[in-house]
Amino acid sequence: MAKPTGQGAVIEAEGLTKVYGESIKTHALRGVDFHVERAEFLSIIGQSGSGKSTLLNILGLLDRPTEGTLRLLGTDVVSLSTAERAAFRNEHIGFVFQFHHLLPEFSVRENLLMPAWIAGRAHKGGDSRSDDILAFLGLEAVADKGANELSGGQKQRVAIARALMNSPEIVLADEPTGNLDTVNTAQVYDLFRRLHEEWDTTFVIVTHDRSIAQQTDRIVEVRDGLVEQDVSNTYARAGTPAGGMV
Amino acid sequence: MLALRIAMRFLLKSKGQSVLILVGIGVGIAVQVFVGSLITSLQASLVDRTVGSSSHVTLEPLEVGGTVPFTESDRKNLEDDPAITAVAPQHTVSALVTEGGASVPLVLKGGAFADLNGIYKLSDKLVEGSAALTGDDILVGTTFATDNGVGVGENLTLTLAGGATLDTRVAGIVDLGSAAANSQVAFVDGGLARTALDRPEGEYSLVETQIIDVFASTTVAQTLQTEFPQAKVTDWQVENSELLTALQSQSTSSYMIQFFVIVAVMLGIASTLAISAVQKTRQIGILKALGMTDRRTGRVFLFQAGTLGVLGTALGIGIGLGLIALFGAFAGSSSSSFPITAQPAFLVLSAVIGIGIALLSAIIPYRRTSRIDPIEVIQNG
Repeated sequence: MAKPTGQGAVIEAEGLTKVYGESIKTHALRGVDFHVERAEFLSIIGQSGSGKSTLLNILGLLDRPTEGTLRLLGTDVVSLSTAERAAFRNEHIGFVFQFHHLLPEFSVRENLLMPAWIAGRAHKGGDSRSDDILAFLGLEAVADKGANELSGGQKQRVAIARALMNSPEIVLADEPTGNLDTVNTAQVYDLFRRLHEEWDTTFVIVTHDRSIAQQTDRIVEVRDGLVEQDVSNTYARAGTPAGGMV
Repeated sequence: MLALRIAMRFLLKSKGQSVLILVGIGVGIAVQVFVGSLITSLQASLVDRTVGSSSHVTLEPLEVGGTVPFTESDRKNLEDDPAITAVAPQHTVSALVTEGGASVPLVLKGGAFADLNGIYKLSDKLVEGSAALTGDDILVGTTFATDNGVGVGENLTLTLAGGATLDTRVAGIVDLGSAAANSQVAFVDGGLARTALDRPEGEYSLVETQIIDVFASTTVAQTLQTEFPQAKVTDWQVENSELLTALQSQSTSSYMIQFFVIVAVMLGIASTLAISAVQKTRQIGILKALGMTDRRTGRVFLFQAGTLGVLGTALGIGIGLGLIALFGAFAGSSSSSFPITAQPAFLVLSAVIGIGIALLSAIIPYRRTSRIDPIEVIQNG
């Protein structure tokens, strides 16, 4: 699989604010400036209610900022229509959520193919891309099982596989291990790291767990709707846990 | 067609629910097909019994005792009219039959056998003898024959209104379907009656016709009235207004039954689909997060409704036709019953209604789906 080449900003956010409510206003974000370069592997940390999930939802085009500008891959995404945002999300962004959110009516392979089907690309039975991903994540044996027949760790791996299906430039993960035990948590981070190395995808991982954040190359801390700290973490790669095959 | 594929999978994964809703649509459409066909056939049967063997549009004299001028070319014109199926110019005359001292009144209808047969279906109604009118032949009703002890081949002397007598021979006995007709109506050859009446050619007592669409009789009568200003044109609907009111009331009640059945089916589908939409909120939210548009996710429920509508309607029409066949098998053997037939056009209408209400029922889930916010779904496990 060829690595994408070339550098540049994939996420450029300026003065992002998000206010909820009409009469009683809650400021979830109070002017966030945030830049991410291609192929970065970073984490956003913060306490519950700090605004980190709101930021991720806005970056993932699931929510709109109240004010501020946001450019993804050079495109001004704030002005896009709902349908255009859906198409952009499908093509350029892969999501991994805290809960696996697989579709129980479909098999592992079908869940994996869903983003490609939405894009109108893949054939019904799959293609080489889906086969490669299944092989890379060690999911070939369970490919034709129902999504509900898997263990928690397997489900989250299928969710990761699905996030990668359309070769997105950006993978956004919201507490991706929040529901997993320590062994599976370590395996998922090891997998993220390997995928990042292999495919040069930009990873933005939201977590409240500092020990997990410390395994990423850059740590952005959000507090009360503002970026409190934004530090480069040069120890991350050396500190990557051994984590066997997931 | 991803929306269709997802719709199918949702339906297949909730088999119990899908089967229930299919049966619901099926029963509703079956009732609609059966009740609709039953009422239509009943009405057709009633109308046929009422006017199947009588005149639909009649040319009568302008004055009582007068005649209707009716030439061969007039006859040809009427026969060429595609709306008219039978034409029977007749000489009618009142007569008395004296049997054993008592006089029995008879109305003689004189005309060509083929013409009279076209209106009265005499060949089908023959009970005894032969259905023919040549020379001095006469066809009498069953009641008349029984009451007066008249048999086929016997001579019958009739005293006409003017005092002249007419010697006839009973060629056959017919059952005209009503006691009054069977005791009072008899048929003779037109020439015989004309001679007895001493009437010139081209003049008749009345001209009876039958038309293809019995309910178009008023229009046909109006057209004929302009063509025949020398006659008074009447149609059966004027003389049977009570029957028509009854038929109309029956139709209205049938439409009401069908309407409420359809409303009940629609509410059933709508509520089941709404429940299905609530059950699939999570899946719809996930699909939206993956980049499926609001409109496309909404289409999932339209396809579900459409599929249920098509299959349910097919099932319903099948059950409906089955019920009609059952009715035919159990009730069809009794003489007072009537045959139920399902009109193809009515079945097509039922199918359109079935699929239509299914699609209409999808509006609620469609709208609900477009309002689902993926954020709310993905933040909750």
